[in-house]
Amino acid sequence: MNESHDTTPQMIQRTVTVVPEEGLHARPASAFVEAANEYEADLQVGPPDADPVDARSMLGVTSLGAKGGDELVLYADGADAEAALDALEDVLSTPEAEFDDE
Amino acid sequence: MDESTIDQVLTEDLIVLAEPPANKPDAIEYMLDIAVEAGRVTDRATALEAVLEREKQSTTGVGKGIGIPHAKTDAVREPTVVFTRSTEGIDFDSMDDQPAKLLFLLLVPAEGGEEHLSILSSLSRALMHDEVREDLLAADSSAAVRDIIVDALT
Repeated sequence: MNESHDTTPQMIQRTVTVVPEEGLHARPASAFVEAANEYEADLQVGPPDADPVDARSMLGVTSLGAKGGDELVLYADGADAEAALDALEDVLSTPEAEFDDE
Repeated sequence: MDESTIDQVLTEDLIVLAEPPANKPDAIEYMLDIAVEAGRVTDRATALEAVLEREKQSTTGVGKGIGIPHAKTDAVREPTVVFTRSTEGIDFDSMDDQPAKLLFLLLVPAEGGEEHLSILSSLSRALMHDEVREDLLAADSSAAVRDIIVDALT
């Protein structure tokens, strides 16, 4: 996380396990980035022990190489932070088979 | 990835700076042909099917002007990355609507396990840096592209 003054009262984080067995790729990854784009809050995602990336960036999310079973920390800062984390957690908790073709 | 791994995955004959076709399906076939000509692919049709199948799930246009079509397939014996680039950019259905100018085709053996994910994520991490993308767009030879990628990944 940025060391600066980001820790405003709205700044929240949540640790979530990646459920899709192929990891955060293909359909789950695009669903994740699409969900992140629906919120106003600043959203980041990363492994527990490394710098996070912009959750709205497909390139960033792909760079994580997150596998099924890995833990990821979600960070949100903004008015709809809580709702955004719920939505992102929902995507990460959905098994691969439940992602529809569209 | 270390330099010797990169040199196995991305040989200079897999880096082609000639302009690819201007649409996504043709550009993917163009890159596949580069891999075929380099002797990397045992079954072109199977490889193409795997790449298009993956593309159907969700686009590999990852934004910032980059496309990374990829697949695990029995049609290659060793991990293979093809690089090409498009001056005008190709519509890759990227979420940020930017046309893809830097194109990587990644083919990994079906039994490659996590190698697939590791090459894909390393490449993506390197390409997040503005200067890496700018240097790749400006490089004037396959050797220069190879050096930029080695520097960015090691």
